[in-house]
Order: sequence, then C-alpha cells, then structure tokens
Amino acid sequence: MNYGQEYRIDSDVAIIGGGTAGLNAAMAVAQKGLSVLVAEKANIYRSGAMGGGIDHFMAYLETGEGWDTRETYLKYVGRVAHGAANLQIHEHVFCEELRDTIERIERIGVSLRNTSTGDFYRTQAMGQPGPYFINFNGKLLKPKMAEEVHRLGCQVLDRLQVTNLLLHDSEMAGFTGFNIRTGDFYVVRAKAIIISTGNTNRMFKTQTGNPFNLWYCPACTGDLHRQAFDAGASMANMEYVRMSIVPKGFSAPGFNAFFGMGGKLINSLGDAFMKNYHSMADRAPRNYVVWGAIQELKEGRGPIYMDCRHLDQKELEHLFSTLGYDKDTLPDFLMKKGYHLSGGLIEMNVSEPMQARPSELCGSGIKIDRNCSSNIPGLFAAGDSADQMGCLHMCTAGGFAAGKHAADYAARINQFKHLDEESIAREKERVFRPLQIKKGTPYWEFEDIVRQITTDHFGPVKTENSLNSALDKLYRLDNDKHYLKAENLHNLMRVHEAMNIQDVAKITANAALARKESRFHPYHYRADYPETDNENFCGLIVVKKRSDGKPETTFEQLYYES
Amino acid sequence: MPPLIDWEVCTLCGTCADRCPLDVIYLEDDEVVVKFPDECWHCGACRQDCPVEAISIEFPMIMLRV
Repeated sequence: MNYGQEYRIDSDVAIIGGGTAGLNAAMAVAQKGLSVLVAEKANIYRSGAMGGGIDHFMAYLETGEGWDTRETYLKYVGRVAHGAANLQIHEHVFCEELRDTIERIERIGVSLRNTSTGDFYRTQAMGQPGPYFINFNGKLLKPKMAEEVHRLGCQVLDRLQVTNLLLHDSEMAGFTGFNIRTGDFYVVRAKAIIISTGNTNRMFKTQTGNPFNLWYCPACTGDLHRQAFDAGASMANMEYVRMSIVPKGFSAPGFNAFFGMGGKLINSLGDAFMKNYHSMADRAPRNYVVWGAIQELKEGRGPIYMDCRHLDQKELEHLFSTLGYDKDTLPDFLMKKGYHLSGGLIEMNVSEPMQARPSELCGSGIKIDRNCSSNIPGLFAAGDSADQMGCLHMCTAGGFAAGKHAADYAARINQFKHLDEESIAREKERVFRPLQIKKGTPYWEFEDIVRQITTDHFGPVKTENSLNSALDKLYRLDNDKHYLKAENLHNLMRVHEAMNIQDVAKITANAALARKESRFHPYHYRADYPETDNENFCGLIVVKKRSDGKPETTFEQLYYES
Repeated sequence: MPPLIDWEVCTLCGTCADRCPLDVIYLEDDEVVVKFPDECWHCGACRQDCPVEAISIEFPMIMLRV
C-alpha cells in the first residue's frame, strides 16, 4: 500500500465539508471572485445529510397571512428553540438570505413548486403556527448544487479526510488531511476556513445494532467538532442528544412527511396518544413527540404505529412520493415489509440518539456570531456544525452567508500564514500510524465501546453521577487510541472517525454536566434536575478547551420577547 | 447487504463507486466491488445515479424482520 505522497495547496478560502452548507458557502465565495477550495470526505455530488434527496424546505413567504411573516416566524423560533436559538443571529444568517436562497435553488434547476400548477405545496408540523414546510422533490438538489460549484470554478478535493487545523499566532492558517483512496497527504493554507461538516453520528447504539443504520448521515462523525475544539474554538448546544420517530427496523427520515400530511401515532391499544403530551398533539415540536413515544413504550403500551388510514388516496400517494424524495429507499423498504398504499398501520420506533441540535431552528457545535465567525480569527462555521444553523433552510441560506463573510475576511488578509513544518511532520506520522500497527484494536471495537458507554450513561437519560461515570470511562479510553489499527485506507478513515466520536462524546458529557436542568425533553433530560429552569438556564452552555487541555464551561444568557 | 449489482446490465462506468458517500463501492480491476456492505446507509445515491439502472437495493434481514 502506497501512502504519504505530499501535496501543498493555497486557497483564499477553504471550506471543510461539501454538504449543503459547504456548497452554498462555496458559491458565495466564488461570486466574490476569490479562490475557493472545498475539502469533502465523500463526493460533493451525493455527500452530507441530504445527499440522497430531501423533501422539505422551511420558509415564511409573506403571502399576507398573519402567520406567514418574518415576525411570526421569529416568534415561533423563540418559542420552539427557547434557550438554544439566538434570534439576532437567526435573523441575520437566515431571514436576510431567505428570498435570495429560494431564487438560487430554483435557478440551479430544482423547483420548490409543483411544476404543473406553479404553487408551493405547504404542510404544517413541529409546532409551526402555519404550514411553513414546502414539500418538494429534492432528489437532485445535491447533484445540482455540485454542478453549480464546479461551474463557478471552485476547486474540489473529494475523498479527503481532514485530520487537523493549523494555527499561526492563534489565528487560522490551514489544515492537513489525506485522501482515503490514494493515501496522498495534503497540506492546505487558507486565509479563511469555513467548517461545515455536520453533526456527530455513530455515537449511540442503534435499533438493529448496525451503527450505520442511522437517521442522519453516518459519515458525519464530528471530525471538525473535535479539531475546532482542540484549536480553541468555543462550542455551544453540545449537550443535546437528538432523536426522532422512525420506521421500526430502518432509521430513515419521514417525520415531516408523515406528520405534515396528518399522520397520527397510535399505541397498541389504538389510542392516538400524542394529545396526552402536547396541545398540538402530533403536530407538536419533534422532541415532544419523541418524549410521548418513549413514555408509551416504557409504560407497556407499545408497539407504536403511524396511522394514515384516514388519509384519502391522493394524500397517500403524495405522502409515499415525498417519503421517497427524503429517503430514496424508504418506499421500497415499506413495500418489502408488506405495507402498501391502501394505508395500513406502519410500526414506528424511537431512533438512536445523536449529538445534534435540539430543534430544526438552531444548531449545535462551533459557536458563531452574526457573521458566522467563531472566536478564532479566520475560522467560520456553517450548517449543522455551527451552533445556530441546521436543517435545509438554514444550511442553504446560512451557508451562503458564511461564504460571504469568510470571503470579506480573506479579502482583507494580505498573505498566507506561515506553517510550522515540525508540527506538520508530527501530524503526518500520527495520521498514518494505525497502518503500521499489526496487533491492535480495530476501529469498530473501539467505537462499540464508546457507544456502549454513551448509551448506558446519557442515551438519553442522564444525571450528574451517570455523566461523571461516562466521562471517567471515556477518558480511560484515551490510552487505547495508540493501539488502533487499520489494514487499509478506508479503515484508516474509520479509525480517525472513531477517535473523533469518542472526543466529541466527552465534550457532550461535559456540557451536559453544566446544564443543571432539563430542556427539550428528552434531548436534555437530567433525571436529577427534571424541570426546565428558565431563570438560570435560558441560554447556551459554552464549552471551550482550557490551556491544560480540560474543557471548561460557561453560561451565556439568551433573551426573548415574551 | 445493499446494493445489488446486475452484472448483465452494468457497464463498469464507475459512477456508483465515485458517488457512494460511505465509500462502500469500489471499481477494481474492471469489476465493481461492494466492499463494505455493512456500512451502507441506504441513501440510494448509487441506484439514482446509475446511468443504466443496474442497481437494486437489498435490505439486511434484521431490518425487515424486527
């Protein structure tokens, strides 16, 4: 096996993560006339959370309806993402960009409208005051974005696993990475870097035992959460453990499609139980629905089912097509399990937990300001890896905003920063070391141990004792990292992912310890502090690495108009 | 154990190996190899982008029977 051939690249702006946010950021940088490089672990045509397709885009459209305005929308954000969403940032990175974003999506060749009538098909779920979700066929959205990025002349490095960020005088200077198919080692210098690598998956046990049977993309493993944290970036909303309602056996998305069309969850006694948990029943915010389902299963009223028997044939046909827009293989799965369009009951389950945002209306990860900048000069974040962005609507709009701000920053910098050759050599040695280890631990065994610890101690119920126990076990794993082996480049990527998942789990547990209340039940459910405490905890737990390497947490209040 | 490739139809163009977001499919020595089948996310990118519709999706038994 050959590996280690070295390549050096300079680019005004570098974007790590070529998913939705990263590609929209690249478009913005290219339009400002600067050079831009996109580093992507997979292939930008189909990578990221919605590479295989998507069916919904959240928007207010100013149609004259009372609920369809920026003001009502922002009130909804403040109500549903209370204590996690910063409304000033939300307005700046999303609302200001929304109109252009819808135009941009349609310009690159994906219609958000029904192509025959020209109207938007809008549905209501997740606590919305009106039908904010536009249903559309987004199966080609990612390939169309990729084509646009190539058309604009952006440089793209597919199959590149980024391994560390490089600083110079505490400012962002570049990064290192390797190609997972050729083993080539890259050293990139950039005047500004945008991180858009999503959330952290594969961190908790799954319903069928296979860690890749996930609601969200299993390639998003917190690689840059870990690297940004090590570089000194402040992180926020890291304590939340997000879950959804998924078909039994297949952790696929479909929540918006089912509930948006009026699907109801029922228990094995035939009771539509969500009315017992929230005044909006099945149209409540996602966390309430998950909470209700967990209680029903725990208290012996399972299994639970999605009931669509009251929908007419036309609605069922629409539902089954949108399910396939969001997850291409879900209709096949449902058919193979014996469900059909006449509308039988579909058995559902609570998905695996994941490290991610507690709501569709905020993010989880690198803490950004209204210019999408982190606390490290030259380091920006967008999409699911930023603490204030998530979901398609914010990743397209906010990704573009991040691109504009990073480009403006880079344009003011005269020259590339000096890189320390010794630390690059050390990093190269660290990156490829698992290939030389013959008698060691495979990545999956290490990762399984991490998942066992997280699931036992905070997946999702947690207490101070359980979190301390988890941290004790997670830190004890640090030494085992030196004995991780990889027999090929693919597994070398997996080894680095597994180590990153373990490190992010520590950040998550540390943040969860500091939030001595419960919020977004069950996403942050402290059994020792089961109530929400808005007096002391309406805001962000900010985690940052101290000079001795240990994480420290601080609290930052968020304000909402009542 | 997805995806399943129909060898009669496959033209070895390599699109699936190029696009698979989980690095599951490889084009090796004039053969498409589903090298890491357990790591498939069932996103369907390979099936959607295959220019000759040579790919179908197979679900592991556990997903269908639980």
